[in-house]
Amino acid sequence: MIWDIITGGFIALKEYIALHVLTCLIPAFLLAGAMVSFISKEAIIRYLGAAANRVYSFLLASVSSFFVAVCSCTVIPVASGLYFQGAGIGSAFIILWVAPAANILALMYTGAILGYNMALIRVIAALLMAFIVGSIMSAFFFKEERGRGFQIESGTKRIIKRNDIVLLLLILASLLAPNYLIRKGPYLHKIYVWAVATLLVIAFAIYGKTREEIKGWLTETWWFVKIIFPLLLVGVFVVGIIGKILPPSFIQNWLGGKGILPSFLATLIGAISYFATMTEAPFVDTLLKLGMGKGPALALLLTGPGMSLPSMLAIMRVFGLKKAVVYIITIVILGTAVGWFSSNFIF
Amino acid sequence: MEIRILGPGCPRCHEVEKRTINALADLNIGADVQKITDLKKIAEYRIMGTPALVINGKVKCYGRIPSVAEIKEWIKAEL
Repeated sequence: MIWDIITGGFIALKEYIALHVLTCLIPAFLLAGAMVSFISKEAIIRYLGAAANRVYSFLLASVSSFFVAVCSCTVIPVASGLYFQGAGIGSAFIILWVAPAANILALMYTGAILGYNMALIRVIAALLMAFIVGSIMSAFFFKEERGRGFQIESGTKRIIKRNDIVLLLLILASLLAPNYLIRKGPYLHKIYVWAVATLLVIAFAIYGKTREEIKGWLTETWWFVKIIFPLLLVGVFVVGIIGKILPPSFIQNWLGGKGILPSFLATLIGAISYFATMTEAPFVDTLLKLGMGKGPALALLLTGPGMSLPSMLAIMRVFGLKKAVVYIITIVILGTAVGWFSSNFIF
Repeated sequence: MEIRILGPGCPRCHEVEKRTINALADLNIGADVQKITDLKKIAEYRIMGTPALVINGKVKCYGRIPSVAEIKEWIKAEL
């Protein structure tokens, strides 16, 4: 019995990691490393400060947290730093939400495991929720927001060099091509496509970038691997064990179907539980196989990494109880709504 | 000299601390080095990203891991 459970863990490791290392994990880590190395955080922050109206700053906050704050421990400092420097509360909380809910590594991995449709829906939902969260936070704390100015020193305005955009796109291609171009057939074909795409990336990098830049990029990539990969291994192993222990009837009763309750429960579980980066994808996949509905699955994909009890407490300490409570309640309501809506109108 | 390393506790912040201590050792300089992991206290520094390095109250870098050479320059500038 125990042996059965443990093998469950190892089987999960094989399914979720061994199969994905070459064609998903390596390109994804390279992409994350490249984003951190070649996208200028300072420039984005300056644009945020100069943003004239709310829509523009929300848009910028959403899209940039998608690209910039890939390391989860830095999210709260980035948001608090921006906020206390004078950025709008909407933008700050958008960063708090989007960075973990739509982080590029997790998205790529979600695509590999749950299909790129799911990953796309996750991004769109995260961005939509971001706008609503930003608006609600701005509205609730309107009185405080008046008269806040954003002061930031001048400096580089260039967010990313043109060549680097090409490099990023190439890496993205090496990530997506194997999975999109080869839908059927042996896994070996995927590896061929990956190898060709990766060679292109290497060629472009060697030709277009200095040795120092490449070294910086690979160092950042290696940091991601060092920090995230071990957690991913452990997380997936635990997911495998949970998959063996949880009875399917339990999942089907409470998390199955299209109703509001399963979405709400899924949102709640996601909001409270801490999910190490990328572990939400295998977890949701396991639950889906046990009978979870697709809508609740989406809700869990969003709120799982996006929020956790420790992060709630940290937000409370840094931003104050009122703002934290409004934020948390908004996310829970939105998560439930997104889950229910997608169950009934999208999936 | 007062050096503060800001970060909630991930490997990146440890690396900054390690490099700072190496830099001090190389330069044969002593300093009061402390790690600040409390997010509320970190927020007071108004930095936009961890890990961050603060020397004598001045933020020298934030949101990235500086090289040992850079850290040495900053230390020398604060002597």
